Amino acid sequence: MSNTTVGPVYDTIIAEVINAVRVDFEENGVDDGALEDLKKEWQHKLSQMKVAQFPWDPKPEPQAPPAPAHAQPTAPPPTAPPTAATYTQSTLSPQSAQQTLSLPGGLLPNANPMGIKPEPGFVQAEPAIKQEPGMQPIHPGYNPANGARPTAAQRAALALESQYGQRAAASINAIHSGMQINPAAQPQQVPRPGQAPQQHMNPQQQYRQGVAASMQQRMQQVPGARPPNGLPAAQLDGLNDATDTASGPGAVHPIMMDRAQIDEHLHAQIAARAKQMEGGGLMLPLKEATKNRSLPEKPRKADGPSQLDGLDDDVKSEEDDEDAINSDLDDPDEGGDDDEDDDETMGHMMLCMYDKVQRVKNKWKCILKDGVLTVNGKEYVFHKATGEYEW
Amino acid sequence: MANPSNNYYDLYRHGSLGVALTDALDELIGQERIDPQLAMKVLTQFDRVIAETLQEKVKARLTFKGSLDTYRFCDEVWTFLIRNVTFKLDNGGQMVNADKVKIVSCSSKKNEEK
Repeated sequence: MSNTTVGPVYDTIIAEVINAVRVDFEENGVDDGALEDLKKEWQHKLSQMKVAQFPWDPKPEPQAPPAPAHAQPTAPPPTAPPTAATYTQSTLSPQSAQQTLSLPGGLLPNANPMGIKPEPGFVQAEPAIKQEPGMQPIHPGYNPANGARPTAAQRAALALESQYGQRAAASINAIHSGMQINPAAQPQQVPRPGQAPQQHMNPQQQYRQGVAASMQQRMQQVPGARPPNGLPAAQLDGLNDATDTASGPGAVHPIMMDRAQIDEHLHAQIAARAKQMEGGGLMLPLKEATKNRSLPEKPRKADGPSQLDGLDDDVKSEEDDEDAINSDLDDPDEGGDDDEDDDETMGHMMLCMYDKVQRVKNKWKCILKDGVLTVNGKEYVFHKATGEYEW
Repeated sequence: MANPSNNYYDLYRHGSLGVALTDALDELIGQERIDPQLAMKVLTQFDRVIAETLQEKVKARLTFKGSLDTYRFCDEVWTFLIRNVTFKLDNGGQMVNADKVKIVSCSSKKNEEK
C-alpha cells in the first residue's frame, strides 16, 4: 500500500489554499512575505510529520535529526550528577588510575600537579584545573563513588583530612578500610570491575579519582564560582553534593525498597498461616472469605524458585486481588481504558465522509469517501473506502 | 466564496495537513504578522480546498476489515473505534495493519447541499 499520491495531492491543496487566501491577505494589508512564510512553514511542519514523501522535500527524505549524543563522555551535561563524571572517568581511562598509583606523591593531599595528571585524556578539564590550583587539596576526601553513603565515618574522614592533611592519613585510612567492608553497597562501584583491586589497595587513590572527576564536573558547572582557596566553603559544597547524590538515585531508595519487600514477605507469610489456621477460610464471614480466597495464590508464588521474583508477584497479585474483590469497581476501569484508547488512537485516525453505514446484527458495513487515513505514521488518501467489521 | 465555504466540514483540520496549517498560522499570529480573523479565513478556505481536492483529484479506493470496538453516532457524525484493522488500497496489493484505528466520519450529504 503506497502513499505516493499523498505528496502531490497535499501540494495541490497547499497551493490552492495559498492562492485562495491571497486576496484576503491583501485586503487585510498583510504583505506577501507573510503568505510565503505561511506556505513554507506549512510545508515544513508537514515534512516534520513525515507522513509521506512531499514534492518540496529533497529527494532522499530527510531523516530524523540524529539524537544529540548525550553519552558524550568528555562533556557531560552540566546538570549531570557528579556520579556520571566518576563513571566515565573510571571506565574510559582506566590507565589513568594506574598512573595515579605509580605516583610517589599521590598520597599527599597538596600534591596538586599529581592530582591533575591522572586525567590527561580530559582536554577540557585540564586547563580549567590549572587555573584554580588551590582546589586540589580542598576535597581529597570527597568521592562521589563513596559519596553514595555519606556515613559518619566518611564525614569524619573528611574532617580529619581537611584539618590535619597528611598527618591524618593513617586514621583516615583506618576509617575508609572500615567503610570498604561491603563495597557492594555502593552502586557506583559495580560498573567498574577493573578498578576494584586498585581501590582496595589504596582508598586514597580512589578518592583522588573521584576528586578529579568531580573537579572536572565542577569546572564545567561553575567555573570560578568559588574562591580558589575558600577551603571550608568548597568542602561543604563537596559534601553536600555527595549527600545529594546519595539521597537521589543512590543508596537510600534500595533500602526502602528492601524494607517494603520484607514487609510484603512477612505479610504474605502471616496471611498464609492465618489461612491455614482458619481451615481454608471456611469459618470466616463471607466478605473476609472472599478477601482470603485470593490470598492462597501468594504463598504459592512466594514458594517458587526465586523468592524475590515471587515477592514482586505478590505485590502485583495483591493489587489485582483488591480490584477483584468488587467486580463493580472493574467497570469504571474499563471505561477509563476506552478513553485511553481514544487518546492513543490519535496516531491512527481516519477522517472521511460517509455515504452509508449499515448494520445487520453485529456486522457493520460502511461506505466512506473522501478520506484521509493516518496509520503507522504514514498518511493515505482515498476517494472511496468500504469497511466491514464485526462488533 | 466566503459564504459557501461555510458549508464544508472542518474535520480535516484534525489531520496532519490541517494540524500543520494550524501550527503555521499560530506562529504567524504569535509574531503578530496576521490577525486571528485572517487565520480563520485561511482555515475555512482549507476546509473547502481539501474537501474538493479529495473529491476530485483522488481516485484511490480502499477496503478495510476489522473488529468494531466502539461505535457512536452523534450529530450526524459517526465515530468508530476499530481494532485489528487491515487496510488494502486497490492500487498496491500490500496490506497495512493497525491495532486500532479511530474513524471520524461526517455525512457526505451536507457537501452535496451546498
